[in-house]
Amino acid sequence: MDAFRQAIHLLITLDPELLQILGVTMRMSFFSTTISCLIGLPLGTLLGTHSFRGKAFLKKLLHTLMGLPPVVAGLLVYALFTHYGPFGTLNLLFTVRVMVIAQCLLITPVVTGLCASYMEQSATGILETARGMGLPSSRVLLLCLSESRTSLLSVVLNAFGRSIAEVGAVSIVGGNIQWKTRVMTTAIMLETNKGNFSFALALGFILLLLAFLVNVAASLIVKEVRYA
Amino acid sequence: MLEAKGLRMQYGARTVLDVPQLSVDDGACTVLVGANGSGKTTLLRILAGQLKPTAGTFSAPQPVLYLPQRTYAFRGTVLQNILIGMKNKKEDALSLLDRMELTPLLQKQARSLSGGELQRLAFCRLVLRDCKLLLLDEPTSACDTHAAALLLQELQRYRKAQNCTVLLSTHSRAVAAQIADRCLLLENGCITADGTPQEIWQNVPLMEDA
Repeated sequence: MDAFRQAIHLLITLDPELLQILGVTMRMSFFSTTISCLIGLPLGTLLGTHSFRGKAFLKKLLHTLMGLPPVVAGLLVYALFTHYGPFGTLNLLFTVRVMVIAQCLLITPVVTGLCASYMEQSATGILETARGMGLPSSRVLLLCLSESRTSLLSVVLNAFGRSIAEVGAVSIVGGNIQWKTRVMTTAIMLETNKGNFSFALALGFILLLLAFLVNVAASLIVKEVRYA
Repeated sequence: MLEAKGLRMQYGARTVLDVPQLSVDDGACTVLVGANGSGKTTLLRILAGQLKPTAGTFSAPQPVLYLPQRTYAFRGTVLQNILIGMKNKKEDALSLLDRMELTPLLQKQARSLSGGELQRLAFCRLVLRDCKLLLLDEPTSACDTHAAALLLQELQRYRKAQNCTVLLSTHSRAVAAQIADRCLLLENGCITADGTPQEIWQNVPLMEDA
């Protein structure tokens, strides 16, 4: 109860550090989810609706990457962007940008894999009917996306959920720097390590509330998109 | 003219279609009959460009329209479904739906239709467009006698208006007798008989009405 009260207090008093952490968390999650979906959804659609040589191997690779441990992804990105790494001159380490890159590495295979699975199972009927109607390819694709929007929303929300809850990769490449790269999950981890359990729990409640609000907003948006 | 040469479809070692030669005259209505798994759908899907054959070539008059056996009801009402990509043909659509006795369902969600109603809607969605080759995979399988008669009547009207070639698969002797100029019997992926519906049903004792 104490944690719950503390969470409400933090929100009502508009605690400046909390707001800053929330801002970074949302910015990071929004960009990583958007980029991952921009890459993963078309790739998943192609993979799910087309047959080609090497598809089975590609799917196995994708399934492996879907289970990529966040710390491994974090280490990989750290190695690439550290001062002596191939992209060291970009000076991106310990910035929100590199946190987005690390998250994209984690989330894109998830988006691609889930989208491909959905398309394989459900989109065949849509495609066959739409192509049979002699519609142009672009219209077929739009129709397919429109018909699949509820399922694709689940994919997007899954990606967002993974992004907002991720801690391993962002703490390695972001460094959990106060007022700069601290996000909700790394803040919770820090407070737990400091022994401030109720404060950490309060942050957890706020994170949960944030995820819930994003889910509600996304569902409303999809409901509003009328059939074209 | 629709022409195919050496069409073969294999899944691993299993051959599901083997048609060395097939010619269909322009404007003719050819009915494919055969048991389940005889290759009717595979042949239609190949000709519709939905499936790539393992071997063989074909040339078909364009454009082609194809009605799959298990058609899909898009989101929205019956009217919205029929007007997909055809918004400028609302008057034609309304008159077509009237002839097909679908007017009372105009504002109903397409996904709530029965199997027979959906088949009629899918057929309407197709024949609102122009084509030179119409491929129909068991278009009346879920329809009752009256609905099937309406659909076949509309098909005849469309054929006359478009002068298009029709290739249709069915299990129904009545459908074949009513519409076919020519009947092809498929067995295990091969065309084993070619003739009028009467000839097919009289000369092939195993062929039963479904």
